[in-house]
Amino acid sequence: MQKLLTGAFLAVCTYGMTAPAMADPMADAKAIIAEHEKMPVFEAPGDAFDAKACMKDKKVLSIPISMTIPFNVELQKAMASAADEIGFTYTTWDNQLKVDQWIQGVSQAISQKYDALDIAGGLNPEVLGPQLSEARAADLKISTTHLYDVTQTQFGGVDYSAKVDFSGAGKLLAAWAYVKTEGKPNVLIVGSSDVLPSIPFVKAIQAELTALCPECKQKHLDVPVSEWATKIQPGVQSALISDPGINFVLPIYDSMSQFVFPALRITGSEGAVKIASFNGTPFVLDMLREGQVNMDIGESLGWAGYAAIDNIMRMICGLPSVAKLNVPLLIFDEKNVKTAGIPANFNDGYGDAYLGGFRKLWKLN
Amino acid sequence: MTTIDLSTSETPAKTVPARPPRRALDWKAETERFALLGAWMLLIAIFGMLMPESFLSWRNFSTMFGSQAVLVVLTLALLVPLTSGDFDLSGASVLTMSSMLIAVLNVREGWPIAPVILIALASGAVIGAVNAVFVLYFRIHSLIVTLGIGTFVNGLILWISQSQTISGISMDLVGWVIINRFLGIPLAFFYALLLAGILWYVLEFTIPGRKLLFVGRGREVSRLNGIAVDRVRAVSFIVSGLISAFAGVLYAGMTGSADPLSGLSLLLPAFAAAFLGATTISPGRFNAFGAVIAVYFLVTGITGLTMLGADAYVQNLFYGGALVIAVALSQLVRNRQPQDFS
Repeated sequence: MQKLLTGAFLAVCTYGMTAPAMADPMADAKAIIAEHEKMPVFEAPGDAFDAKACMKDKKVLSIPISMTIPFNVELQKAMASAADEIGFTYTTWDNQLKVDQWIQGVSQAISQKYDALDIAGGLNPEVLGPQLSEARAADLKISTTHLYDVTQTQFGGVDYSAKVDFSGAGKLLAAWAYVKTEGKPNVLIVGSSDVLPSIPFVKAIQAELTALCPECKQKHLDVPVSEWATKIQPGVQSALISDPGINFVLPIYDSMSQFVFPALRITGSEGAVKIASFNGTPFVLDMLREGQVNMDIGESLGWAGYAAIDNIMRMICGLPSVAKLNVPLLIFDEKNVKTAGIPANFNDGYGDAYLGGFRKLWKLN
Repeated sequence: MTTIDLSTSETPAKTVPARPPRRALDWKAETERFALLGAWMLLIAIFGMLMPESFLSWRNFSTMFGSQAVLVVLTLALLVPLTSGDFDLSGASVLTMSSMLIAVLNVREGWPIAPVILIALASGAVIGAVNAVFVLYFRIHSLIVTLGIGTFVNGLILWISQSQTISGISMDLVGWVIINRFLGIPLAFFYALLLAGILWYVLEFTIPGRKLLFVGRGREVSRLNGIAVDRVRAVSFIVSGLISAFAGVLYAGMTGSADPLSGLSLLLPAFAAAFLGATTISPGRFNAFGAVIAVYFLVTGITGLTMLGADAYVQNLFYGGALVIAVALSQLVRNRQPQDFS
């Protein structure tokens, strides 16, 4: 871990030192933002194929990291819905963040002769190394969904990975802080290095901020997931008190916001310090509507579910893997947050271009 | 039975003389009583010297005092059954259930905040009563019962919340917890301080409080002295549930939201503070102001380290290390008397 963090730090420093100076950083940052303010349009992630014919009599079992996490529940619903449209057997292995349950899931996939096993929603396949080897030996194809950043290399025990553009989200957060502070960001990034894509995500924010504004201040607070409730609020409070000039807090996962906002309130920084984040979780969009959060980058989980099934089918049908999960990132701010619903939900506000797009891609029409 | 030690000089059965003989000041005992307080001051002095501008600002102290009120109240809740010799591992679950009930009823169902708070508090008392029934009627150890009931409550929380975080809790509650201030400190701190004062008074100066202490020190001796031991223990569980639910009200007011999991992580820090607090003010006994000092000693260390830019793991090293070292030093001062957690 230390080597990994040191490597990440050196990479950031190297990137920061070698990042090309931007001719007009404000225009560049605004361009990044504008690109993600448009209603998403569907872009085919690969060649069209006859999904019904290819998936006939096929069975897929997906093990999410935990079904107590709303994100996973919605992602699984969308994946099941896509599988239902095509007509193959899709099973979600319900669990509550327990290793023994994940292992049982892999055993079930082997004993019930499934064709593919999907590791979804943040579960690191490396914790199931021996079990996945056994699954491979039993001729199961193995995929991950919504785990790796596009810059990361997948674990050797996995065949296909639907990677997410966390780095792109990081660049967008940096651009947002730069534009909204009129080129004078002083940023506190709240990360969680124990979550696999966090390191490239934070690295992307740091590198983009350095490229946009080499002399601007930035600080990184690293809090493991299990300690969000006890460490984020005091950590943010301490950072705000030791540097009253901080004007943006960027929690990389938006569920952190519920602990960041009380820190702003209690230090009297509400209004002066803004929060921008990533995920589009409904309660954070509700906070945005109430003015507690300044911006949240959302990704439609309906869209993500269909895109994940698309990649799993490509794996089973012997087609090349997609470069990244075909899910656009959309900015939610005060202008459009009501389109996400009142109260907000995981799917509203993104349009439904993906439905027609994927159906055509899979030759369902 | 959960006691830090069994000092024969404090055996309840012993006749207390009307006017105890005047004793010379016991420097060793006094040093032990105030050692943690001294360590806290030393910590403030060290961080103050390193960061005089930021660490010694009133804004920093008001922030520390206000933001830890929830942990203080939960620690006080655990302290009641600990005093009577029982563990309550369901405290954090009750806290989370209370905050989630507030969110569901106030935000989703649109009920006014005042009755919702009463319902949340009542839920804590009910869960405490259920704990008491299983511990006392079925004669099951409190560790097992409260662990089981706590896990059951966690399931209920996931069910009623549909595993969702709910934001948008009434600003009236948020105002009375964190926004409204006295001396620049959020009111939540003063609620916690007031509760500590009440607990201290009840345990030190009232008959029910002394009974609670006697039951914790020796159940059989208490029973032979005519104390209704089961009733005292039942009340301690109910009061613990009630105070834990109050911590949940403050938690909901602090964040303006409720989620089904995060409050559960407060259980171990609360127990750590209760045990660390038992090394100070009234050493060898779980005590309210000792617990308050313990919480703020730990948070001062963590705040200072964070302001110095220490990594997350350094905070854990401090938290765990401070707890074990403080209790170990206290034991050395007490000539390593055995701790009885039978």
